[in-house]
Amino acid sequence: MDSPADAIRISGLVKRYGTVTAVENLSLTVRPGTMFGFLGPNGSGKSTTIGCITGLLDPTAGQVELLGQPFDSENAAIKRRIGVMPETLGLFDPLYAHEFLAFVARMFGLDEATTRSRVTELLDALELTDTSKTLADYSTGMRKRVAFAAAVIHTPEVLFLDEPFESIDPAGVSLMKQWLRRFTEQGRTVFMTSHVLETVERLCEEVAIITRPGKLVWQGDVTVLANDGAIACGGREFRALEPLFLHLTGERYKDLAWL
Amino acid sequence: MNLELIGQLVRLRYKLLWAKTRTRNGKIALFFSGYILLVMIIALLSAGGFGAGLTAVRSGKGTLVAAAVLTGVGLQALISTVVLGFGVGTIFAETELRRYPIKARERRVVRHVIGILDPFWFLFLALDLGLAFGLYLFGAGSFWLGLAAVVLFFIANYLAARLLTLVVDRLMAKKGGPIVLLASLMCLGFLPSLLQPVFQKKSPIVVALGRTVIRFFHYTPPYGAAVAMTHFDLAALSGIGVLLAWLLALTAVLVVIERRPPKIRSAQTTAITWNSPFERLGALFPERYAPLVSHWLRFYFRNNRFRTIYPLALPLAAFLLFFFGKQAGPHSTFPAALSAFAILGCIGTAQFAVNQFGYVSGGFRRFLLLPTDPAAAFRAGSFTFLMLSSALIPVAAVLWCLFVPGPFDARALAMLVSASVFSLFLFHALGLWVSLLAPRRGSYTTSFGNDLSFAANVVVIAGMMIMLFAPRLLAKAFPAAVSPVYWWTVPPASVLAAAFYFASLRYTTTLFRVRREQLLAIVEGKS
Repeated sequence: MDSPADAIRISGLVKRYGTVTAVENLSLTVRPGTMFGFLGPNGSGKSTTIGCITGLLDPTAGQVELLGQPFDSENAAIKRRIGVMPETLGLFDPLYAHEFLAFVARMFGLDEATTRSRVTELLDALELTDTSKTLADYSTGMRKRVAFAAAVIHTPEVLFLDEPFESIDPAGVSLMKQWLRRFTEQGRTVFMTSHVLETVERLCEEVAIITRPGKLVWQGDVTVLANDGAIACGGREFRALEPLFLHLTGERYKDLAWL
Repeated sequence: MNLELIGQLVRLRYKLLWAKTRTRNGKIALFFSGYILLVMIIALLSAGGFGAGLTAVRSGKGTLVAAAVLTGVGLQALISTVVLGFGVGTIFAETELRRYPIKARERRVVRHVIGILDPFWFLFLALDLGLAFGLYLFGAGSFWLGLAAVVLFFIANYLAARLLTLVVDRLMAKKGGPIVLLASLMCLGFLPSLLQPVFQKKSPIVVALGRTVIRFFHYTPPYGAAVAMTHFDLAALSGIGVLLAWLLALTAVLVVIERRPPKIRSAQTTAITWNSPFERLGALFPERYAPLVSHWLRFYFRNNRFRTIYPLALPLAAFLLFFFGKQAGPHSTFPAALSAFAILGCIGTAQFAVNQFGYVSGGFRRFLLLPTDPAAAFRAGSFTFLMLSSALIPVAAVLWCLFVPGPFDARALAMLVSASVFSLFLFHALGLWVSLLAPRRGSYTTSFGNDLSFAANVVVIAGMMIMLFAPRLLAKAFPAAVSPVYWWTVPPASVLAAAFYFASLRYTTTLFRVRREQLLAIVEGKS
């Protein structure tokens, strides 16, 4: 019996801007039904990688397969099956939340009745019921919730989230985590970036760590950490994600005596 | 006063200006604007200054000539800044300046020093200086008094432009503000033409009114500056006094208005509506474009600038017809109508059609994530502008039929409507190219200002000029060509323009795919 196709398969991905390399020969696979954490220091190419695998950017070289099919920016059929919450959210400021979500839902081919019911339910669940404010008047956290709602409104099979929990209050984060767990339990896949390593450690099953410029340095199962286990890497054992991350990325901040 | 930090901020503004020239388009713009600036300064110095000085000396009416020139310069500056949006762009917003350790008064000084040092204002300064220098050379005035008058008049002119822009901005933010502004502009536009016959009668009331206006004119900045430029005695000081009084008054009013926070408009919608007129209009298009067209309609109808410019298109065309039709003689109505109809085909949406994604900011990213051909949003945007502009043509045709001077001529109507259709397709085709090749990040929230790229400005301004003057020039050279007799020449041109539009649509779709990453960087402000 054939095993199900990988949800995401990236082979030899390269993204260059002129002479600057943002992503260098990145290859990784993500199984379906996985909560996948994609980590790296600032400027390491996480958002560029997400851009390349969601059709925002064209890779300089390499292949991307989503849900077992080759993917590029023109592939509308695959785009219909994925949801993306981009780094800059991609909102239209003069619109009201319900107008924006209805626009996204209609573009994803949802019928009018489903559009209306899902928009209403999402606004209610994410406590975005203040219809007197446009998106421009929303706080950063509220805008993030709207972007999250837009990413899930069409029940995608693969969800890409770029820093999903930043600026959202604890109750909102808890709700989103609950939804994401149920999402993966149903066999769907979540690919997320985050700098909150504790959250990634508790939420994700698998993690990939990249360094500048977009080079994969480690990929593995992190569920052992939740069971008081340890990850072996480079002859050392790590009982948490943070020391492993710092070890692999070599990120150190210089001390400032005057501060 | 923290002069050092203020100086640093002014320098930063120029560093930012220079940084723009790092891109290829920026370098071209710098070259052309630098070149044009130089040529204009030389032309303005000789024509404005020496010419006026010579006229003043020969006519013996130095003060009056100088006042007339300065009034013209001042009005030009007001129109260029308030209507065309040159030289009033906010480089540092008040909130941005708050992060620096400077007080409220210093922040105001920084904003206005940066504003007045905009290269655009140097053109007017050059003209003012040229005039003063010309008068001095021909012995009509003192060099130092002239210089002082120029500096004071220049600052007063800047403050007046700022004040007017601020008032218009505040008005636009109010409910019904665009309508009030529209009515005011209409009145200002039509008033001179309407009052002309009244003034020609020279009744005692009109004569008395004229004297009052002239008396008031003696206390205006241009006259004050002119007096200071053309006198050596105490009279010159009275001119300086008038200018100082205006400076104080304008500064005081500006400070008072700036201190009053703009009232935030209350929400327009509180109940969720699912089937708005935008959705209904969008539904007229094929299914894959319908939500996108609705989206563009909603996006632009919420924009203050669009809500001002679009409704102005029809009255402006009527004004052009009325004004130019009368100005150029009894047989000039039809060429003027041809100009007005051609301009109507594009003016309502021109500013947005040449910079389609310039105002969407981060929203542009969303278009690329939607499960559709990424260029669909681009095409849908163009269709929206085309629909909006074309909606004005039948209205104008009906109005022409109702108020046509002389007997109705179907050939004339066909020619006029075809001229509209011609400019509609031609301009929106050019808009497609310019939107992709020369986009610029604009501010969605500001009501006025020119945030188009150099190429977009060239297309809009040159396009309008050609449409305005080409029929009149053609009518002078070949009168028959611009008459209903040759009506059949324009419909084929419209068909060609339509063909050019659809060919452009096809080619720019491919270009969009190539350019979309650059577009993303530009509209998100990363390039």
